[in-house]
Amino acid sequence: MHPYGAARPILHKKWTAHSGAPRLLGLPGRDGLIELIGRIRRIGKTVPSTKPTLSRYLFACMTNDQPTPLSPAAIAALRELVGAENVIVGGDELLVYECDAYTIEKQLPHAVVLPKNTAEVAAVVRLCAKWGVPFIPRGAGTSLSGTVLAVTGGVMIALTRMNRVLEVDYRNRRALVEAGCVNAWITQAVKGRGLYYAPDPSSQSACTIGGNVATNSGGPHTLKYGVTTNHVLGFEFVLPDGEVCWLGTRPDGGEEVDGYDLRGVVIGSEGMFGIVTRVLVQLTRAPQSFKTMMGVFESVDAASQTVSDIIAAGIVPGAMEMMDQLITQAVEAAYHFGFPLDAGAVLIIELDGLAAGLERQADRVQEICRQNGAREVRLARTEAERLELWKCRKRAFGAIGRLSPNFLTQDGVVPRSQLPAIMRYIRACSERHGLRIPNVFHAGDGNIHPLILYDEREPDQVRRALLAGHEILEQCIALGGSASGEHGIGVEKIDFMARQFSPDDLAAMRTVRRVFDPAQRCNPHKMFPGSKRCADFAPRKQAAA
Amino acid sequence: MPLKLKPAHRQELAAALAAATARGEAIAEVDVSALNRVIEHQPSDQTVTVEAGLTLGALQELLARHGQWLPVDPAHATRLTLRELIDANLSGPRRCGHGTIRDHVLGLTVALADGTLARSGGRVVKNVAGYDLAKLFIGAAGSLGVVTEVTFKLKPLPQAEEFLAAPGATLEAAAQLLEAVAGSALTPVVLDLHRLDPATPGVTVVAGFAGAREDVAWETARARALGFTAVGDLGHEPAFWSAPGAAHRLSVLPALVAPALRPLGAATFVARAGNGVIYHRGPAAAPAPPAPGPLAVMRRLKAAFDPAGIFPNPLPPPAPGAPPV
Repeated sequence: MHPYGAARPILHKKWTAHSGAPRLLGLPGRDGLIELIGRIRRIGKTVPSTKPTLSRYLFACMTNDQPTPLSPAAIAALRELVGAENVIVGGDELLVYECDAYTIEKQLPHAVVLPKNTAEVAAVVRLCAKWGVPFIPRGAGTSLSGTVLAVTGGVMIALTRMNRVLEVDYRNRRALVEAGCVNAWITQAVKGRGLYYAPDPSSQSACTIGGNVATNSGGPHTLKYGVTTNHVLGFEFVLPDGEVCWLGTRPDGGEEVDGYDLRGVVIGSEGMFGIVTRVLVQLTRAPQSFKTMMGVFESVDAASQTVSDIIAAGIVPGAMEMMDQLITQAVEAAYHFGFPLDAGAVLIIELDGLAAGLERQADRVQEICRQNGAREVRLARTEAERLELWKCRKRAFGAIGRLSPNFLTQDGVVPRSQLPAIMRYIRACSERHGLRIPNVFHAGDGNIHPLILYDEREPDQVRRALLAGHEILEQCIALGGSASGEHGIGVEKIDFMARQFSPDDLAAMRTVRRVFDPAQRCNPHKMFPGSKRCADFAPRKQAAA
Repeated sequence: MPLKLKPAHRQELAAALAAATARGEAIAEVDVSALNRVIEHQPSDQTVTVEAGLTLGALQELLARHGQWLPVDPAHATRLTLRELIDANLSGPRRCGHGTIRDHVLGLTVALADGTLARSGGRVVKNVAGYDLAKLFIGAAGSLGVVTEVTFKLKPLPQAEEFLAAPGATLEAAAQLLEAVAGSALTPVVLDLHRLDPATPGVTVVAGFAGAREDVAWETARARALGFTAVGDLGHEPAFWSAPGAAHRLSVLPALVAPALRPLGAATFVARAGNGVIYHRGPAAAPAPPAPGPLAVMRRLKAAFDPAGIFPNPLPPPAPGAPPV
């Protein structure tokens, strides 16, 4: 029996196949109607005059009026596998899974399964393979690019109940954890022993290590310490046919692994090659000492030049974070750190390492700041002062609430030497579209996070905000950079792939995708241009096989 | 007669690969020495984009003029092209502090068997757009394509670098010293253990420290107190690799280096004790049978990227009677 139940005619199938619009699952009852109205209002508010239009959406709802859930037999089979309490097929509970932190597009999966161990994950994946149904691995859902959106429904496999730190090998500085383990828990587990897990995305208190592997997560300390791929030694992996294997270094094995670096190519594949179930991470020795400074500059250009000069002096700080005038003003209004309101930019520089050499390096950094016209350089004298400095950086996003009801954040990268150029472009973009765009970003990596402020109650502001975001990312690519430094492509940035890569580049990537997942059922419709139009996955699967 | 290519530029290479694939003709050798341009070096970005026929030695010389380096140090850098470095995933003693080449590659362009040029990654230090295909080609022995261009993330040359040695110790004493280093606050960039003369029973531990002058002074003082009493150097590295005979590789947990060395008897070896990697001469241990799951994926990759089999195949042959992939 087909898991989606008997096939029903869909009057305007072509539209549903080509839109990527949310599709309703089942006939709306009273609750469904309320949800439907809510969805229509959200869509009307967030994407006015862009596709899908309200009328097309309504038309799709009306014409696609037959339920296409998993058949009762299929749901029973999932419940049998993992226990009824670990399968979600409806109600408010299912709504949690309609999107990640990228909320502009939403779609419910047909079912969410919460397995407790690898064997259950593999069994669910095997069932999906048998039925020809898509499956979507999911961690904490903190992705900012729609990486775990169930574009055509399917079975979402959430790893959040597999969240233990299994083993820590202090001598060899390794930890074996389950994929649903929260990033920060690893560091908490080994803190007393002078070790930590280095990649620290801003969402580290919520995001899972499995999700970090999928998106090759970074964080503010990337320049010196690298990203996920530099710290994950190996992992247990469920292939799309349900086979369980280990890729990369084994928990009891050496770092060299024969054959191709499959671990390396799976990291950052956005969950499209299979499901990570256990992860072996390399732990890093915690720095002996820190020197944290804050420089106040007349302009973003002066602060950017300071960043380049510090690097040119052979100093690699643990982090260099920049805040421009708008964000500094917002932080000051909210928290009263004593920032000058007329300063063009504030730069936080943190040196870490052995205590012996840090003093002189800190002197040199302060000297470089002054050479670039810093009107003030503060050095944190105590740990409390250091934490205070970081607080203003980490609270920057929160302070935005005072400036605007909504903001859209982007994740472009430029070569560090192009930071002044991209900041000038963003200022021009801000003026052109009549929207304020404060900036707080990882200056050491050239990874910018412009925060485009808008009010979702003003449809034209939404349109201009989306447009400004697109223009900024295009300019990042034009300056030799990338449309994504750490958030990933997901569904959000699909359009940029063809701008950043040639058809041949993309063809090679698709080749690898088909090797891991010939049926392309694992987290489908992501990454590649044209993906969202692949709603008819079943016929395509056969064509590709 | 086996096909040998010496392309003048990468378009010529791509066309030759497409032709070889069309004819199903295996390629014995690709000489990329003509592809040796420095495409872009932006010192303030700490990145460099170069063609893969350039030698590592020539690249390091260029970078050193700007106080930078590519932090890998395999032997014979002056005659090693970047393509060979990437194909064989080579590393040297400083692997302990700086990792391997996969940690420093930001982007890679590869000429594929079908005659296309595929690029992944980019020129910026942080980038997650697209799959990280570069990883597949590093250490693939040229079996999936020919690396033509690469972008590296660079590091500043350290202000100071110093080596210390604990020579002539027994394996047991050396193992104790390694444990003492592991339990200390030291952050060595080199931690090698070696025996170059089969007639000498003793082994030598070499530790290297690099960074700011004050850091190096602090670390070497600590290391001397632990037992690194002599001045050291990296002379063992070229000596080991210049000696006759094939070297074999073992990879174990860093804590298990000494137990893994014991069965080697009097064989000469160099061990990266911080990484658990041992290179030795003498009889090789029987290779562990590869896990079937990953091997099947690797075989499908090989078939997908090189359907006519024009490149070498480093994967173990299927067992007799096994079904075709």
